Amino acid sequence: MIKGIKRIDEYRLEVPIGYTEGMKVKGIIYVDKELEGLLEEGSVKQVANVATLPGIIKASLAMPDIHTGYGFAIGGVAAFETREGVVSPGGVGYDIN
Amino acid sequence: MRLLRSNLRREEVLPRIRDLVEVLYQEIPSGVGSKGKLRLSREDERRLLLKGAQWAVERGFGEPEDLERIESGGVLEGADPSVISNKAFERGMSQQGTLGSGNHFLEIQYVEEIYDHKTADAFGLFPGQVTIMIHTGSRGFGHQVCTDFLEVMERAVKKYGIKLPDRELACAPVNSPEAQDYMAAMKAAANYAWANRQCIMHWCREAITKALRISPKELGLMLVYDVAHNIAKVEIHTVNGRKQEVVVHRKGATRAFPPGHPELPEVYRQVGQPVLIPGDMGRASYVLVGTERAMEETFGSTCHGAGRVLSRHQAIKRAKGRSIAREMEEAGITVRSAGKRTLAEEMSEAYKDISNVVEVVDRAGLSKKVAKLKPIGVVKG
Repeated sequence: MIKGIKRIDEYRLEVPIGYTEGMKVKGIIYVDKELEGLLEEGSVKQVANVATLPGIIKASLAMPDIHTGYGFAIGGVAAFETREGVVSPGGVGYDIN
Repeated sequence: MRLLRSNLRREEVLPRIRDLVEVLYQEIPSGVGSKGKLRLSREDERRLLLKGAQWAVERGFGEPEDLERIESGGVLEGADPSVISNKAFERGMSQQGTLGSGNHFLEIQYVEEIYDHKTADAFGLFPGQVTIMIHTGSRGFGHQVCTDFLEVMERAVKKYGIKLPDRELACAPVNSPEAQDYMAAMKAAANYAWANRQCIMHWCREAITKALRISPKELGLMLVYDVAHNIAKVEIHTVNGRKQEVVVHRKGATRAFPPGHPELPEVYRQVGQPVLIPGDMGRASYVLVGTERAMEETFGSTCHGAGRVLSRHQAIKRAKGRSIAREMEEAGITVRSAGKRTLAEEMSEAYKDISNVVEVVDRAGLSKKVAKLKPIGVVKG
């Protein structure tokens, strides 16, 4: 298991606030034990990094097909407030749509 | 992602699979930087960026009723060609109606298993049925939009004094001109992608009817659904018990709206949104349906595919001295590809097992399994 993250239930891992400095919300990664074995430390770090962005709501989320991408992990979902939040091209990626 | 269903059964197609794969490979341009049959004038391209799949239908590619089976009707309002660079315009001009390379593909599949009969019925799916899956996006146009706006955002980060742990997270406040321009450009790219898949679907219809010498009616190639998986959208979600507008970024994640959601078309309003999850080219793909749980937990989102486990470079090393095409052939999958390199990069072992990925989202309740699709023919760029 990657250090500093913890299992919430059979299908979810939590990346706690504090994993990376400045996280505003926690990270949640949807993986079971088997897929957890394929998790890259780099993509966990990316989930945590996204949680530091201004105006992020609820959690920095990642799906079981998570892998490392440009800035944001591929398999990632992040929602932002319209007043305080941000828009980031890295949150969509190069292959738009 | 786009999924088409047909009136054909696996056993009717299997004896002709080689011809079918060949004709699709010939008729749908693929490969790195592939150029299409369409040459757009700047004015054509401008209209396409504003109207998405509607543009394609107006040009005679497909039917008006296809549009309601596309996320957002195949067009996002608010695309603005005036924020698009000349370079993006140029790359877009020749690549409309092309598959491209990398993980993009066109697959002939059949329905191997149904998990939820009622929903499969509503989606028009039955066991043994031949389906076609199209995975491609906004091609070089969207790539250029991303490149252009990463530069804009790097300047914006300094301008607005945003502190980032990684410069690749470059961003701007939602209401800033930089973010608004990016959204307008990204919407244009999303529209480009929807038009692209609409054109390709039309050529699939033409190519298959020609190859099998059957009428379009006999073939019955209909759109099940078309959904984005790399997109940012302003949507209404419930946060702390209150409905509010939020900007949802989905990067390698698929919208998965539940039954009754007002954004769903009439045909799927009762059952929920079809979710299309491609696997690697050797294993399987899945159709799922959106859930209320996804709305509560993940802003109406679920997974988008298998996800790589080997880098492209590692995959090429692993494939050395092997013929991936022959291995697939032996497993009952006919494959045609523009380049050997793509097949090596995209081989099954380079990806997680899609069934494991789908099992997690199904059990976690983010979307529910409806049907499993097995590939029998693959066209790769």
